[in-house]
Amino acid sequence: MNFSNEELLEMYSDIVKSRVLGEKIVEYIFSGKIAGAIHPCLGQEAVSAGILTAFKKSDIITYGTETHRAQTVMAHRVGWKPFIAELLGRTGGCNDGISGEYHIHDLKNGQLPAAGALGGTWAEIAGFAWALKNDGKKRQIGFAPYGDGAISQGATYEAMNIAALFKLPILFFIENNGIAMSTPVENQSPLENLADRAAAFNMKGVTVDGDDPVAVAEAVLNGMELAANNEPNVVEVKTMRWEGHYVGDPQKYRDLSYKEDLDSICPVVRFEKRLIELGILDDEIIKAVRESQTKEIVDGFDEGLSQTIATKEQVLDYNRVYSNNAGGEL
Amino acid sequence: MSEMSVMKALNLAMFEEMVADEKVICIGEDLGKQGGCWGTFTGLQEKFGENRVLEFPILEAGYTLFSVGAALGGYRPIVEFMFADFVTLGFEGIVDIAAKIRFNSGGVDSCPVTFVLPQGGGGKSGAHHSQSVEAWFANVPGLKIVAPTTPADIRAYYRAAIRDDDPTLFIYQRATMGLTGEVPDVLDEVPSLAKAGKIVKTGADLTVVAYHRALLNAMAAAAQVEEETGKTIEIIDPRVLIPFDKEIVFDSVKKTGRLMVAHEAPERGGFGAQILSWVVENCMKELKAAPVRVAGVNSIIPFGDLEKYLYPSVEDMKAGILKALK
Repeated sequence: MNFSNEELLEMYSDIVKSRVLGEKIVEYIFSGKIAGAIHPCLGQEAVSAGILTAFKKSDIITYGTETHRAQTVMAHRVGWKPFIAELLGRTGGCNDGISGEYHIHDLKNGQLPAAGALGGTWAEIAGFAWALKNDGKKRQIGFAPYGDGAISQGATYEAMNIAALFKLPILFFIENNGIAMSTPVENQSPLENLADRAAAFNMKGVTVDGDDPVAVAEAVLNGMELAANNEPNVVEVKTMRWEGHYVGDPQKYRDLSYKEDLDSICPVVRFEKRLIELGILDDEIIKAVRESQTKEIVDGFDEGLSQTIATKEQVLDYNRVYSNNAGGEL
Repeated sequence: MSEMSVMKALNLAMFEEMVADEKVICIGEDLGKQGGCWGTFTGLQEKFGENRVLEFPILEAGYTLFSVGAALGGYRPIVEFMFADFVTLGFEGIVDIAAKIRFNSGGVDSCPVTFVLPQGGGGKSGAHHSQSVEAWFANVPGLKIVAPTTPADIRAYYRAAIRDDDPTLFIYQRATMGLTGEVPDVLDEVPSLAKAGKIVKTGADLTVVAYHRALLNAMAAAAQVEEETGKTIEIIDPRVLIPFDKEIVFDSVKKTGRLMVAHEAPERGGFGAQILSWVVENCMKELKAAPVRVAGVNSIIPFGDLEKYLYPSVEDMKAGILKALK
């Protein structure tokens, strides 16, 4: 394990932050403060913590999208307050609360446009990665994540083919939480490991434990290095979704016995135990981290909720739709 | 001035824009040694290299989305679909992604991609290779649609489409690839896509709005009717459908009091219905008779010579003009 104690503590801080964000999203949805069907990350926090650790540790700059359950990574890119405000549909959001978390887009912070229909962004990010390579930008790559569901889309195969053919600097990342809405992964693919699809394009593909933030971080760092050397590759992390597809989903399609003992499968608890064994975490730090992360997120929600929503004029602003006056009228 | 074909004008426009802006790139199938399926990319890869003329495998969905990513990365892609019909595979990239880039970025980023769509009949290629697609996209805010006909207009408006910062569909009629006309040696100014309508021919008794092969057929029919009736017919080529030059059409209809709109795409939900609506909404008191549409039959395009039963012929145009003149 090539991480210092400071890095491990920061990783811990990020896994807790992801947990708190997931819990708060559920809370605010039930209290009617968040509109739409947002997908919280509960159970999958180690994935975001691992990705963030890799991003912070590496000198490689990434441009990409996130899976909808990696909101901590989105927030890291665009800034926590602008992210939360966008989630709430408020004017302090990174897109003025008009685009929404589903369609988040903030190029200056490396956040490429998300897509409602799944499958397409891998090819979109491949195009961006091509531009980086063609401009001779060293150690800048495309980061292309999807869940186990999206990668059955044909466009993802087209994207992998393009990336392998043009030797693009891109990392394809599969956050396999075992279920796509209601359909279990075994009903979606005959493969045991979805990263095996990389072989069809002569790319490297690895599968690691997505509930271990260290394993995720190591795999992502390795994949980023390969990508930076124009070797596109696939990293799959296996995790588990705790919530329904949406908050409030009764999940009638699924055996819910896992809920009886969440601690036994909890990536946060597991990481805590490991860090306590290593002697770098104790109850006091656990309490302090939880408090500070909760405060930052709650403050963000409070600030977001104090903001207005966009006016009709802002939403129907011609310049928000067209780039020049040759656009006609709305 | 030089006499050149539509095919040559397409090639010239891309050549000129690639010289003018090194960020212009071409994306599509068979663009290398073959010069594109229709020869319109001839010589471009040889001149500008494989990093500017990118020959792709057969994956329209993939390269449509790729082009959006490249545009966000600072490039200005021209994306060819071999047949406009194949744009069905690129629909998500155009409609859901490209058209909404500017909006979802809060008006910060643009998406300067030109999607090139050779469309319509004339090739006798049947159901999957002969459709007219402009109306599929006219209902999508965020897109622009450019549809010129003559070689000179193709050259000028193709360049304008490539230069425009918004996602633009450049649609031309495959059947008229060999149509020739005078094209200026140097284009003094690349035109704006706004106010692009052009009065092809002036007249006093009827306004005809048409584009692509329907324009050519309407012009032939109008000449016959003028000869036979002594009436004069004003013909307008809009050249750009979105943004549509309404004023030039309204001004003409206010003068003539009559309107016929023609295109090859099926009548139902066709762009002609939109033009008709605008005119009725704005020129009702000047209209002397109900406006007329002449368009493709609302059916599937058959193979071979049978396609002639679908598309409006010169005779159909003549019947439409006579009806509108009643």
